[in-house]
Amino acid sequence: MEQVTPADESTGTNPRQGKVVRLYLSNDTSSRTAGTARLAEAWIEQSDLQIVRTSSRGAFFLEPMVERDMPEGRMAWFNVTSSDLPRIRAGEGGVYVRDISFLNRQSRSTYENFGITEPLAPDAYQARGGFQGLQAALTMSTDAIIEEIKISRLRGRGGAAFPSWNKWQIARQTGADHKYVVVNADEGDAGTYCDRMIMEGDPFRLLEGILICARAVGADQAFVYCRHEYPAAARTLRIAIQKLDQAGLLEIDGQPFSIEVISGAGAYVCGEETALLESIEGHRGDVRVKPPYPAVSGLYGRPTVVSNVLTFAIVPGILARGGAWHASMGTEHSRGTVVLQLGGRVKQPGIVEVPFGLTLREVLDQFGGGMAPGSRFKAVQVGGPLGSLFPESQLDIPICYHAFAEAGAILGHGGIVVYDHETDMLELARHFMAFATTESCGKCTPCRIGSIRSRELLERIQAGQGTQEDLDLLFDLGDTMKAASLCAFGGRAPYPVLTAIDHFPAEFHSKLRQ
Amino acid sequence: MNGPASTVDAILDQHRPARSQEPNILRTLLAVQDAVGYVPLEKVGRIARSLGVTESDIAGVISYYPDVRTGPRGRHIIRICMGESCIANHCDRILHELQQQLRVDVGETMPGNRFTIEKVFCMGNCPVGPTLLIDDDLYGRVTSSQVTELLDKYR
Repeated sequence: MEQVTPADESTGTNPRQGKVVRLYLSNDTSSRTAGTARLAEAWIEQSDLQIVRTSSRGAFFLEPMVERDMPEGRMAWFNVTSSDLPRIRAGEGGVYVRDISFLNRQSRSTYENFGITEPLAPDAYQARGGFQGLQAALTMSTDAIIEEIKISRLRGRGGAAFPSWNKWQIARQTGADHKYVVVNADEGDAGTYCDRMIMEGDPFRLLEGILICARAVGADQAFVYCRHEYPAAARTLRIAIQKLDQAGLLEIDGQPFSIEVISGAGAYVCGEETALLESIEGHRGDVRVKPPYPAVSGLYGRPTVVSNVLTFAIVPGILARGGAWHASMGTEHSRGTVVLQLGGRVKQPGIVEVPFGLTLREVLDQFGGGMAPGSRFKAVQVGGPLGSLFPESQLDIPICYHAFAEAGAILGHGGIVVYDHETDMLELARHFMAFATTESCGKCTPCRIGSIRSRELLERIQAGQGTQEDLDLLFDLGDTMKAASLCAFGGRAPYPVLTAIDHFPAEFHSKLRQ
Repeated sequence: MNGPASTVDAILDQHRPARSQEPNILRTLLAVQDAVGYVPLEKVGRIARSLGVTESDIAGVISYYPDVRTGPRGRHIIRICMGESCIANHCDRILHELQQQLRVDVGETMPGNRFTIEKVFCMGNCPVGPTLLIDDDLYGRVTSSQVTELLDKYR
């Protein structure tokens, strides 16, 4: 348990001269709550220490983690307390970062800077290859940029996995007086935090991706819709935009370009792209009927490219290294890397960037490191609160869009939550439907009514009053929601509930009234 | 020091849409809330006239967004994360402990206005959950045995 008060992300590093030991501590929100905030505050006054606040490696089970430069590279100390300082000063008892298996088994590209650079230092970003994608894009025709994205076979990482080049092409070809780029930073899927990490940890990568997209489609303004629960991300991003402006980089072909960060107001469905646009315009976040798609008629009725944070953050690497580089990783239908976020009762929660194609079991074994002490595996949920549950027997599914679609599941935004043997599946199912009830925007009937009736049925079963007919009705309602809801929220909401019943039927049947 | 009435007026002046611009209801309401602490229901008519929309337009936006409030809350706001990762880490035990100690339900404010408890569906702090946000202070890896000590910091 650690307290974290908001800090000024623009500084954090204490200037020191002469013979000092330079220590690197993450300034990421989760690292701070794990203890790096308290350690940095305690050590910043020490005259022989220089404290550098970096992004996080994403190996959160090791946080608070402290690193320093050693002759053969960065060395790290794990789960540090203030009493470890003498050891760290002496350079004893640490582990070289390159020897941390959680990290060295990964193929980091989008997250290659994590744990290394200071988030708000544009020079550091540039020194590690930053802005090369933008420089390349500025010399290319818009057709050539879109062609490069097409070659990369990049698909949107927010959940729908739509080919990015196609969105860009449509927005570019649609005539209008204004065009917009909108970043979906409403990372609402429980169990996901990779977008937050980018905004807090490598904001210039996101901004670079926005500028490349804007140039390709001819947009003159961008909005980042950042959820209210991410105050540090919004603050960091706003400072990064200022710094980009000061560096003279906030323009496209000589024309000034504006990027504005807008805070959400706590509604999950605002992560659906059309609801998000409604919310930016200041209305209720009600889902729009598609088509027209936002690329044709989006924000204020103008062509708009809407993609999530991670998708934009992948773009600079594609322009810098070429689309073929990106397409060379992954599986047939899922190219590039997948960014998984391990959470729940897993022993080693953290962020994992690997090429698409590892199985769920391989990810849990190689990176998750087994279960948290005292816990036994029960189920894993992939893809946030709308994602399906997998029991032990189904863990050999490859992590790629194709295999998940065939299984009726979703990768969503890459959230992986492991539940242990103490989890009450009936209560969990009720929670999923209570969530759907609370967050449904209410525009379409299957979702609005279906979620409430489903929750009531589950509560009746919980109270010992449910019957087999109630369970049948639950499946019936689920089928209707899947088939007839206006957006993916209502269409997916039944999946976690129905997969819980499918895989753990005894927990439901034993509660039924005979 | 301006009174609340003139504060709201100043905000409405700032957010009145220019010609050819559409009014932004949500931004306006959040600005009022930032200044006053909540959106006073008796101001809805004024806000609607100022933006050139109907009162039901305003009511629709207020009722949609969980973060737009229409009444005062406690001096300290406890937000407990009920995202799946925190649920998997048995945050229900933390919630139970909070409710035991404060004798108040989710969404309610204690007599004396010391605390209000609210639920949040994920704060993105999943790898170090269970997570509590008290006012602007975020706590990770919270255990139920720490709840008493935590609450004592907020009088």
